[in-house]
Amino acid sequence: MSSPVLSIQNISKAFGGFLALNDVSIDLFPGEIHAVLGENGAGKSTLLNILAGITQPTSGELQLNGTSVVFASAVDAAKAGIGMVHQHFMLVSTLSSTENLLLADMVENRAWFSWPAGPVRDRIAAQAKSFGWEVDLDARIDTQTVGAQQRLEILKALQGERKVLLLDEPTAVLTPGELPGFFATIRNIAASGTAVVIITHKLDEVIAVSDRVTVLRRGQVVHECQTAETNVDDLAREMVGDNSTAFAILTEASGSPGTPHQHEERVVLKDAGSVAGDSVLKHGNVAVRAGEIFGVAGVDGNGQGALAALLTGNTPLTSGELSICGEVMTPQQRLSPQTFLADGVSYIPADRQADGLVMTMSIADNIVLDRIGDAPFTRYGVFIDRKAIRHFAQSEIERFDIRPTDQSRIVSSLSGGNQQKVVIARALSRNPRVLVAVNPTRGLDVGAIAYVHRALREATADGCAVVLISTELDEILALSDRIAVLFEGCLSETLPRGVSKAELGRLMGGAAL
Amino acid sequence: MMQRTALSAGISIAWIFIALATCAIVVMIAGAAPLSVAQALIHGATGTQYNISNTFVQTIPLLITALAVVIAFRAEMFNIGVEGQFLLGAVLACWAGQLAVPGPLAIIVTLVASMIGGALWSLIPALMLHFRGVQIVLSSLIMNFIAVQVVAWMVRGPLQEAIREYPQSDPIRAAAELPKLIQGLQLHTGIWIAVVLAIIFDVLLRRTTYGQYLKAVGSGIRSSKTMGLPVSRILFTTVLLSGALGGLAGGVQIAGVTHFLADPYSKGYGYTAIAVALLARLSPLGAIPAALLFGALTSGSSAAQSAGIPVVVLQVIQAVILFSILGARYTAQRILRSDSAGASA
Repeated sequence: MSSPVLSIQNISKAFGGFLALNDVSIDLFPGEIHAVLGENGAGKSTLLNILAGITQPTSGELQLNGTSVVFASAVDAAKAGIGMVHQHFMLVSTLSSTENLLLADMVENRAWFSWPAGPVRDRIAAQAKSFGWEVDLDARIDTQTVGAQQRLEILKALQGERKVLLLDEPTAVLTPGELPGFFATIRNIAASGTAVVIITHKLDEVIAVSDRVTVLRRGQVVHECQTAETNVDDLAREMVGDNSTAFAILTEASGSPGTPHQHEERVVLKDAGSVAGDSVLKHGNVAVRAGEIFGVAGVDGNGQGALAALLTGNTPLTSGELSICGEVMTPQQRLSPQTFLADGVSYIPADRQADGLVMTMSIADNIVLDRIGDAPFTRYGVFIDRKAIRHFAQSEIERFDIRPTDQSRIVSSLSGGNQQKVVIARALSRNPRVLVAVNPTRGLDVGAIAYVHRALREATADGCAVVLISTELDEILALSDRIAVLFEGCLSETLPRGVSKAELGRLMGGAAL
Repeated sequence: MMQRTALSAGISIAWIFIALATCAIVVMIAGAAPLSVAQALIHGATGTQYNISNTFVQTIPLLITALAVVIAFRAEMFNIGVEGQFLLGAVLACWAGQLAVPGPLAIIVTLVASMIGGALWSLIPALMLHFRGVQIVLSSLIMNFIAVQVVAWMVRGPLQEAIREYPQSDPIRAAAELPKLIQGLQLHTGIWIAVVLAIIFDVLLRRTTYGQYLKAVGSGIRSSKTMGLPVSRILFTTVLLSGALGGLAGGVQIAGVTHFLADPYSKGYGYTAIAVALLARLSPLGAIPAALLFGALTSGSSAAQSAGIPVVVLQVIQAVILFSILGARYTAQRILRSDSAGASA
């Protein structure tokens, strides 16, 4: 085998106290398609960002053709011959294809202008032709299909002498019909001697296109092999891990969940569809009962945002039917968070800082944020009753062990775990009939995780129906009474507790039941 | 603790010297004597009974318009259209003040009309925001230019004086005027309106449900929406309330000072109000001294101007004073913060 073009040696990356990458070493060879597989938060994107010069490693080094290199910026990496295609395209939508490529040229050369356009244009046209692509170089980006835009991104990434091409979740934006053509292109590019790195969580794609696979889990390389020597099941098991320590901690810390003691269906989705930003729910069929935790597993970006927004009245129903506590809602109806709140739906949003807290307000003010105008926190409906708020907040702070215990502390000065406890305290102190929790433990340490899990369980003991939408498989498995998998906007059929992790991993990767 | 107090006092004194030195340099460049300009300014603001009265007279519209800015900015609704709302308030007050309304009701009708005028003028940006998402900062600014033209048209058309000689309106009826506070001076009872409003808004922001909503929406609009707060209603109400205050300032000016409408009508109170509000750190009570400072500067400047000092120099001095206060505040924050960070480490 030839020598590696890019060698990743013992790279670690810490964000604060959190180790996103831990001693990762991978060799990339010319002409090889290397898949990096992993769950959300496994460190895939961090790794790619380091290779592309966007972030810098905490320790370890990169070697390009045997010599050590340091990329201070994305431009450095590009100059060294490393091109990257981001998951979200970096194209100026009002410019034409040619203009976008000229712009990239300009940035890479740190020039004030890029002129004449002719040679660049000719070069691109020739390159596109060599891939067998029809590219309209004069059409504005916003008039082109996503597939065409991606081809342009690839051309952009391949400008100049490219030794390494990094692709971040490249198939996320493509339709199934576009896939074979895309794979053929990737192979073409690799055949010309470029090392291709493809980041994905879709197992069948790994098998279909890659030569070699590295599996990342919690920032560490847990598995490395030739693609020819592995299969979907093995990869799924490696990706999610069979008996990770966290799983053990979680089950131990909180005991096993009870069974649903009631049969009242609190949340029913019938072929429901909804859109929130770029998150799309296409078909949701599910019935969540009082007293159970219903886990919705899935890799981020498969419709979690739309599902959570729909269940909390933050986005309208586009198709199908939704009923909350027996109240049926149809696409014609205007939904509002206020009415959902009044119906007893509490929400622990995925992004606590943006959607859950007013960062400049105190703990007390945040705990009563959604009921400032309700008794007993208001007098005559006009004045706020500071004493009542203080009193209530203090008892919730004790109940949920929020630290520091001073109710007047501004929440931005709290740790992430304690901020999350404020959100949870607010959600649970309403005695909700339905609780929608999205990634409730993201970014928390083990102690705080165990705490949150206990709180969710206690809510079900009071008869609350909990919809737990999480990208953490361990969490889903540890807590859920029943589980469904969300993939590309579609909810799978409901699986019982005790379903194997490998099975869930397969479903999350898009395999059929 | 003593050290920190001493430190912040030192910072303030340093900035006072910086401000004085800068002003002196500007004045000398303009070819005047710094001391005589300073004397003219101080005399113009506080020298005589008349000048003190004028300082307060200038403070009144600045304080009320500043409250309009404070309430809107608290909700991150950047209403910079207070000038226009002021003008429309003046127009409606001028019209209502001429109606044959009996006795004490006349003042109330006049002032309420001015609030309606200001609120209606801010209703347009509010509706544009609500239905089309148009930024208040743009729409409210544009409304100012239209308001100037509305005043120009009013004093040449519908509201022009009966003899139709000058582009100005007839005076409002005597019953609609705000009484003078002291016989023979311009100072009128509008000062109480302004001060009471500042107190009311202080209570409103700190003690009421509405104030709490405003705080939440102003600093965390996404969380507020997600958590079911009636965000659009709060924003809509706030913009209208801000407009009503701006209009009231115009009404108080008509009823208390000018008694009739002329073109141009405002000295840019609605714009200066933004500086006043920011200087007051968006605090209603803080707006009282801030407005008083600007009132004194305005009053002092007009006196100094009639003493022959170029208006541009006076404007530069005002700007230097404003920047110096902001600079002092900024350095104090920086130094005190790094100081306390060092202490806790």
